[in-house]
Amino acid sequence: MHTDIDQQKEAVVRRLRQLPDEMRPPYNWQEFQRRSRQRTTAARGGAARSQLARGSETLDGRTRRYAAIAAVLVAVAGGIAVWSHIAEFEPEPARIAANGDPDLQLSAARSTAIEGWLASLPREPAVVHVGTRAAVAGLEDRIAQVDDLLTAVRLDRAQPDRLAALQQERVRLVGSLAQVRYAEVVAAGSL
Amino acid sequence: MTRLVDVEVSADMLRRACAGDECAQSGIYSALAPATFALIRRLVGNRTLAEDLFQDTMMTVYQSLSAFRGEAPLGAWVKRIAVSKCLMYLRSPWHRARLRLAGENDEDVQIQPIMLPASLGPKAEALDMERALASLTPTARAVVWLFEVEGYSHEEIARSFGRSISFSKSQLARAHVRLREWFDPRVDQQTCTPI
Repeated sequence: MHTDIDQQKEAVVRRLRQLPDEMRPPYNWQEFQRRSRQRTTAARGGAARSQLARGSETLDGRTRRYAAIAAVLVAVAGGIAVWSHIAEFEPEPARIAANGDPDLQLSAARSTAIEGWLASLPREPAVVHVGTRAAVAGLEDRIAQVDDLLTAVRLDRAQPDRLAALQQERVRLVGSLAQVRYAEVVAAGSL
Repeated sequence: MTRLVDVEVSADMLRRACAGDECAQSGIYSALAPATFALIRRLVGNRTLAEDLFQDTMMTVYQSLSAFRGEAPLGAWVKRIAVSKCLMYLRSPWHRARLRLAGENDEDVQIQPIMLPASLGPKAEALDMERALASLTPTARAVVWLFEVEGYSHEEIARSFGRSISFSKSQLARAHVRLREWFDPRVDQQTCTPI
């Protein structure tokens, strides 16, 4: 009954199995060894730190509550800090209103402002956490995809609504990236 | 091109690598790295993440090399380690947090199909397939790859993800619908019959 679907499914499976079994590895043996040494050293440092922490594990309930409140306050302050830093890079409203669709111009300007602030952060912290790096990489990938779509829609010139939605999506992604990068830099003590 | 499960190294090279001979260790790296990285990349998609998991996998391989008993090809043993690392990541709270931060969820990844001209040959076909795979959610991508290419059963996939067999089956079915839609956007669109 579902011959067409079955045939299409078989074609997809065949294509999947035909994909190359090998890819150029990201680095050679020497680089692998260097990274392994780096990770081992970082892990030893982490183990030493946690041993120290275990040694001083005499926090009572109240101290733990204070620590939790402090963590929340640091997170809130981080958010405020990101946006206040970004405000320094904000363009003047008069200049925005002068060119074309003000909403579109405003979101493009906001995106540029956040990117300006991101560029002012240190490139990469000395200690890299896989999870944070993955979050940064994921956001950067998404921004690149949105950029591709933006270019296509701009060339098309027929979908102003879609253009605005994509622009807003870009601002949201760049904003998230700024927050993750800020947290990463603060955690690494580089700011 | 060699599949990871088929990668074998001589017993002598293994023995020397276990004894700390750097030349033998480097030889094993050269034999394993291309297929291991390809497998990890296919399972997790994102390149940076794949590099991290590749490093992790290879480190585990060298740390546990002396435990390898040689009952199966070395590649098959390494494949188990690589798959387990990838699935551990896909199940982790970090992965969920990353999806939330990126505004994605495991149901919705949007990459527009751009089919490359068939005149470009097999390379274009492979690129199309890579893009189609990238359009799947991370979980669906891992399930479809493990089932269709690596030969895992639904039971094995369910066990690896710590989920039910119907989870594996539904992920696979969804992945197939998505892949069929990718190659033919008219597929699976419901049509209304005028009364």
